[in-house]
Amino acid sequence: MSGLSVGMFLFLVSVGMSLIFGVTRIVNLAHGSFYMVGAYLMVTLVEVLPDRPWAFWVALLLAPLGVAMLGGVIEIGLLRLIYRRDPLMQLILTFGLILVIGTLVLLAWGPDNKSVPRPAALAGSVRVFGQPFPSYYVLVLGLAPLVALALWLVFYRTRWGMLIRAATVDREMLGALGVNVAALYTQVFVFGSALAGLGGALAAPTVAVALGMDGDVLTTAFVVVVIGGLGSFAGSFISALLVGLLQSFGILVFPAVSIVLLFAIMAVVLIVRPWGLLGRPEQ
Amino acid sequence: MPRRIHYGTRALAILTGLAVALAAVGPAAAQSKAPIRIGEINSYSGLATVYTFPYKEGLLMAAKEINDAGGVLGRPIEFIFRDDKLKPDEAVKAARELVGQEKVDFLAGCISSGVGLAISAYAKDVKTLYFATHCQTSRLTWDDGHRYVAHTTNNVNQYVRALAKKAAALPYKKWAHISPDYEYGHNVWEEFIAYLKQLKPDVQVSQENWPKLGETDHSPYITALLQSGADAFISSVWGAQEIAFVKQARPFGLFEKVRFLSASVGNPDELDPLGKEAPIGAVAPGFAWYDDGMQKRHPKLAEWVKKYEARAKKGPTLGASWGYASAYIIVEAIKRAKSAETDKVITALSEGYEMDFPWGKVVMRGCDQQAVPPQWVGVVKMNPQGKPVLADIEETHGRDVIKSCDEVAKLRAAAADKKK
Repeated sequence: MSGLSVGMFLFLVSVGMSLIFGVTRIVNLAHGSFYMVGAYLMVTLVEVLPDRPWAFWVALLLAPLGVAMLGGVIEIGLLRLIYRRDPLMQLILTFGLILVIGTLVLLAWGPDNKSVPRPAALAGSVRVFGQPFPSYYVLVLGLAPLVALALWLVFYRTRWGMLIRAATVDREMLGALGVNVAALYTQVFVFGSALAGLGGALAAPTVAVALGMDGDVLTTAFVVVVIGGLGSFAGSFISALLVGLLQSFGILVFPAVSIVLLFAIMAVVLIVRPWGLLGRPEQ
Repeated sequence: MPRRIHYGTRALAILTGLAVALAAVGPAAAQSKAPIRIGEINSYSGLATVYTFPYKEGLLMAAKEINDAGGVLGRPIEFIFRDDKLKPDEAVKAARELVGQEKVDFLAGCISSGVGLAISAYAKDVKTLYFATHCQTSRLTWDDGHRYVAHTTNNVNQYVRALAKKAAALPYKKWAHISPDYEYGHNVWEEFIAYLKQLKPDVQVSQENWPKLGETDHSPYITALLQSGADAFISSVWGAQEIAFVKQARPFGLFEKVRFLSASVGNPDELDPLGKEAPIGAVAPGFAWYDDGMQKRHPKLAEWVKKYEARAKKGPTLGASWGYASAYIIVEAIKRAKSAETDKVITALSEGYEMDFPWGKVVMRGCDQQAVPPQWVGVVKMNPQGKPVLADIEETHGRDVIKSCDEVAKLRAAAADKKK
């Protein structure tokens, strides 16, 4: 059960990363940093907003918006200048962003560990099959599939979603057809950043908000994206659940090798289906 | 005439004498004002800053006091800071630069045990004295000890044994643990259970948990602890990871069902952010300077805290006290050696000495150049303002629990055998 909730956090983070890669072809190493900023914004918002039951929910809405703005600034100010460069340059830039954002977070929030209390209504636990299960995870288990459903509706039932799917297949053709690809890139990057921010904001009450949380999530999200297939939305969902469950059960069944297990599965997927479970092979 | 000559000769003699004296004293006096330079390597970026910033504040506070009082041997002390990025190779690179280009007199620093051991190995190679000031592994001065390393803070052995001593007094027989799966986690668990069994032979181990360092989801371990049948468990998970563990374990009611002991949950870097979610009743070591009992036992503590707060704009941490003490311990060794020469300072260290700090006596033990400070164990409680604090502090001294010089000699011999 808790494995499922972990899978849900992972899904929110990795689907944004996968989406950004699918459209812009940029492997955004700073995606974990967006997750961290989302969590830190949550800390500040919960502190600043009045101590009422609704404050938590408002913060949960505002924190991803803040991260979305950060994503927009970065896309317009930096990434736009290097889309045509060597992919290696893009990697170096997004890697540099990890260090810059990490330092800015240290300057803005200081070195102390932070924590977001769970909303009072979700602080306890409920009984599931006779076992206690934290109520907050019930929220996560409910919210993430809703986000997934919303994403599906956006991708498959709106014109914007159609453009995004088209962009993942053939960007040049889309541009030739008169679509403003530059604007589409910005929108996708902002949207992907917001998802990472939501992941961070939602995870904040279950962990310590601290420097270094960017790196932890980046590695796992990257594995999720690779297993699911870079650019594939459904792939991210399935693979996030798989990885979440694997981490929980792996620990119980093979405690000594649970870390290796994750990467072993990634390696197998890469050998058998280099484009991931639901990804498309490069033409 | 003769009288004039007489006077002239005398005047000349005096002048010559003065000139000679000045010539002798002049450069020496100028030289003696040159600072004693200490290269300080620590993690001043990233996730360890929660510990190293207060530590540095304490260190600089002491350095200022020392220099305002005229320095040591008439020379001011100066720290030259370098960031190790929590990586042993970065630390050694910094050490090489400090010794090679900056020509520092001594090395100091470390928060990560891996970094401390790496600097120590380098210091041994280049015969430069290294003061490990902030990391806690016992290996520094024991298994891997040598004459060019001194440890100016607590080591794991002392505070884990103090905690085990408290554990032995509790009515629990069946024990479990959760420890991060790397050197420190293994070190704490092994020292804890060995000493507990020594004090209370009927203790049993019911269950073990080894999450990886930095694990964020602890639910499987929480479930396992709930089902372990243990009366109590000890955690050596620390910092952000332990905050996550506590927050995740609370809704399961783990702390009501199994008594919680922790190596680090009593420190403000964990208690403050946990706030209302703090594990009430947890037994933990910690530097509870705000505690009435502590302040009564150590009358100078309150004044020191006030001075620190004026500088740092917030309350001290254990690390802040270690930074403060480290600067004074280093200076005391130089003072006793009457020189900043490496060999003479090592001789002073190997003779051992004791110093009084606002929180009690710190012994610098000669045989292993290891600091032996007071140890405190308390219980997490809510204060009337609704903030979690460490209360009911019991104080023992490190020298009552620490491994003896003979045991240390055996450890060193065994480590030397292993290398062959």
